[in-house]
Amino acid sequence: MKTTTFLSVTFLTIFSLQIEAKPLSYLGGTMVMQENDETGHTLSLDYTFTPTEAFGLYVKQEENGKDILMLTPEINTLIKRWNLPDGQGNIFNMSGVGWAHYHGKDEPALWTAFLADYESRRWFLSYEPRFTWDVNIEKSVWQRARVGIAPYLANYNELNTWLMFQVDHHPSKHDHFVATPLLRFFYKGYLFEVGYQTDHHVMVNWQIQF
Amino acid sequence: MKKHLLTIVIMFGLTAAVSAETIRATVNGMVCGFCATAIEKTFKKQPEVNAVNVDLKDRLVTVTTKPGQTIDDPKFKKLMTNTGYSVVSIDRSK
Repeated sequence: MKTTTFLSVTFLTIFSLQIEAKPLSYLGGTMVMQENDETGHTLSLDYTFTPTEAFGLYVKQEENGKDILMLTPEINTLIKRWNLPDGQGNIFNMSGVGWAHYHGKDEPALWTAFLADYESRRWFLSYEPRFTWDVNIEKSVWQRARVGIAPYLANYNELNTWLMFQVDHHPSKHDHFVATPLLRFFYKGYLFEVGYQTDHHVMVNWQIQF
Repeated sequence: MKKHLLTIVIMFGLTAAVSAETIRATVNGMVCGFCATAIEKTFKKQPEVNAVNVDLKDRLVTVTTKPGQTIDDPKFKKLMTNTGYSVVSIDRSK
């Protein structure tokens, strides 16, 4: 396996599994989300089968002419939750084994990630390191941090607006850092995000919980 | 006279027995639309429940049961835990 092929698969795995909101809903709940950013287009579906575990499937079509299609199952686990009077803190682990179709070949990819977040009705903070590896070829790390503030407080059946700022650090990429100012809109079980990235891509994400 | 009193007492008793119950719970951890939607969907699936309201500002979940039905505290707390949140207190009224 060529190193470049594997690196592409590895990065694709990482990007295809980005989750900005919580990777878990409620017992018996299902979430669907789509992400569009500089890496391509991702469609994912998660089903929460215990109060602390969800199973998900991700399909990713990469852009930039690389023509990689990926299908990745994953398990999302809530490691620890703090339910506070004015907020909630969480630590999640997301792990999986996936396959990618690239130039007529199927390639394996392994990864694990942690997500720590704190959210109140006013503030949002998150940090997410991701680790991917292949025993013979590559070990890589990627990390993301996000901060957000709600300029006004609304109830859940009103439109909630967030001003957010995200920084991605990709040690193995040409652009080590990508910053993204973005807007998040929340209405009941619907989430929509739009932002502009410093590598000149428009980011559009949406998520529905049902 | 005794007959009338007995009828009134029975009628009051029956009214109380079949009236709906309002359960107000203070809940920790609710911060967003997904939280509220999850709580609504979880409780609306219960056969005893008639209506659910979530107030993020006051951290209050109000559940109205169907007439003559109730959700006891352990079940209420378990449903909330399964949804991902913690019950601080429960207040009931008919």
